[in-house]
Amino acid sequence: MKTWEKRFPKALAALLVVLFVGLGASDGGVVKRRSLAARTVRDNVQKLRAKRAVARRGVPRYASDRVLIRFRPAVSAAYGEGLLETYGFPSIRRIPAIGVYSVRTAPGVSVTETLAMLRRNPSIMQARPDYAARLAENPNDPYFPVYQHNLYNRGTFIDLGGGISFQTTAGADIKAVTAWDSVKGDPDVVIAVLDSGVDMTHPELAAKIVSPGHDFVNDDDDATDDRWHGTLVAGIAAADTDNSVGIAGVARNCRVLPVKVADAGGSGWYSWVMDGIIWAVDQGADVINISMGGEYDDPFLEDACRYAYDNGVVVVAAAGIDATAVLYPAAYDDYVLAVAVSDYDDAIDVDSPFGPEIDVAAPGVWIMGPIPQWAAGEGNPPYGFASGTSFAAPHVSGLAALILSAKPWLSPAQVMGVIRYTADDINRAEYPGRDDHAGYGRINMERALAPYILK
Amino acid sequence: MIKKRGRRGLLFFPAVALMLAAGGASAAESNIKMLAAGLSYDHFSRTVAWEGDEASSKILFHRLSATADFGVGNGLVLSLSAGLSLSDFAALTFGSLPISLEFGGAPLKGLALGAELVAPVHKRGDFEIAAAGRFVYSFGMSKTWPLEGFAVEGNARGMSDCMETAIGPRVSYLFFGRVVPYLEVSVRWLWADFGMTETLGDLVGEERKQVGGDISFSAALGADAKVSDRLLVKAKGGIVPFAGGVDGSVSIGILYGF
Repeated sequence: MKTWEKRFPKALAALLVVLFVGLGASDGGVVKRRSLAARTVRDNVQKLRAKRAVARRGVPRYASDRVLIRFRPAVSAAYGEGLLETYGFPSIRRIPAIGVYSVRTAPGVSVTETLAMLRRNPSIMQARPDYAARLAENPNDPYFPVYQHNLYNRGTFIDLGGGISFQTTAGADIKAVTAWDSVKGDPDVVIAVLDSGVDMTHPELAAKIVSPGHDFVNDDDDATDDRWHGTLVAGIAAADTDNSVGIAGVARNCRVLPVKVADAGGSGWYSWVMDGIIWAVDQGADVINISMGGEYDDPFLEDACRYAYDNGVVVVAAAGIDATAVLYPAAYDDYVLAVAVSDYDDAIDVDSPFGPEIDVAAPGVWIMGPIPQWAAGEGNPPYGFASGTSFAAPHVSGLAALILSAKPWLSPAQVMGVIRYTADDINRAEYPGRDDHAGYGRINMERALAPYILK
Repeated sequence: MIKKRGRRGLLFFPAVALMLAAGGASAAESNIKMLAAGLSYDHFSRTVAWEGDEASSKILFHRLSATADFGVGNGLVLSLSAGLSLSDFAALTFGSLPISLEFGGAPLKGLALGAELVAPVHKRGDFEIAAAGRFVYSFGMSKTWPLEGFAVEGNARGMSDCMETAIGPRVSYLFFGRVVPYLEVSVRWLWADFGMTETLGDLVGEERKQVGGDISFSAALGADAKVSDRLLVKAKGGIVPFAGGVDGSVSIGILYGF
């Protein structure tokens, strides 16, 4: 009998051979992991808040225990079913009319593994996941499918009357419907609308108003709209949605804080805007929408924007009024997202401002929104259509509110980054990459809110 | 070339670990009654809820190892193994990152070390009851994915470690001599740690997820078969039930006795 001393070297040699052959393909991540540990500085708040985000996740993309299979036409049903039985699937169900089999995956074997295995079989023509379907959960707001091409553009002909009609391009929208599968908004997330005030009795907004707000024009606590502009802006950002009335808002469940900083003529002083920003921040707003601007750079206005940024508030502003340089405060690039206008064909509007401060574009041509009844005229529905960066900006504010609803721990810089980098480069044929007209592109809510799948 | 040298450095670690283990055994060299070495493959799936997640997701673990069995007297067998692991964290979502990331069939490679100890406790007739304990540690699993379709370039880098221990009684039937079937019931404890770093332009996020000690019970049927005087084949298959489903485990090994 051999002794241990004689046997051990042979055993060790055999092991080393196996190890060297096998481990040559290793990713060898030990050193890399150490560097991750050194860089991992997130605090526990993030971990705790993860619960909230996950709870809001949508349904899985496909069934985790089932796949669908179709055999090649030459394969008989008997042979095919016999073949499936040899795989040991716990259950096999045939959908005869279309020659498809639904099989339950073996315990412990993932859909991915099962599909990979089946696709290697030459008798099988198609093996696919059993994808999740969802009820037609488009909001039931009656104007949504007809006029809100900005949220969901199916490529329809829209006739607004008065000789205004246009054909839209399918897909030229901000992907709101698919994004809402992930996030519909948190009522605790508030969008301050610094504008001409808001009609707080409007059926689209009455339930969404946090408080009567503040009127810096008349210096009182009633920010009622005496123009129509602010009401329409507020409605685009966060109209009451799925309420069988009117339109859908981008941030369906978020709320609005009205701040009146423009008078009935549509004008306001910088000091009103500064006061409005600081007041909204102090009231706990999460996002500030400013659909107005001025031509003059002013350090006090910039300081007000910095105050919001430093206090964790995302500021979104309309880039301007016509095809000229970006106005202030939109031009304060470090603290404010400047929004340009795209249209129903995903083209940048000819009247859209331009400049290096442009961050993103959003739909802003013939956008439907609520307006006060007195503005609509007696007997008319209290809704109107308007164009301009004023109405592009609240799309971005709504998206910022949805991002913060899902991930309240993100900083303004991170929210701004998500909005910028998930945009669609709609004018890439002319200006590939970031440019001064569309910025990073037209916002894409789905890409900003739905998980990216690692494959 | 530089990268290859880095890998070689890592390759020695499991080998050294085995040598150290063997060195420890040599202190009691007079007790070594059997030595066998070979290859083994293990697979298990575990449905777990990561801390902070309300939805469960599945870990699919594969391991190919070099294995050595040391018989150290009184029927006690110590197995040490080292090898490659491949882990798939299906449906795991990193929802705290600026852009949420979800696994959709993206296995991670890593290294794995394992140890198993079987200690006979009682023998009656053709039946033997033993205590069996097992430990597998997979580490250094990492992978980088490009993040495509965004306005700026970016990538996601995931790194994970996981560890599973199991302990429980094994009842073997010795009647057949060269083939020893057995039934094993185990308590299994799983720990896993997963760090994900996301970089998209100047947007950087990090998220760490953990399974802090998921306990489950499993039942397995297995057999050790002496194909020849020197060749031993081991096979085992088991189930790990959980509320709403069942996970599975399979292992097979072939060893050459010295």
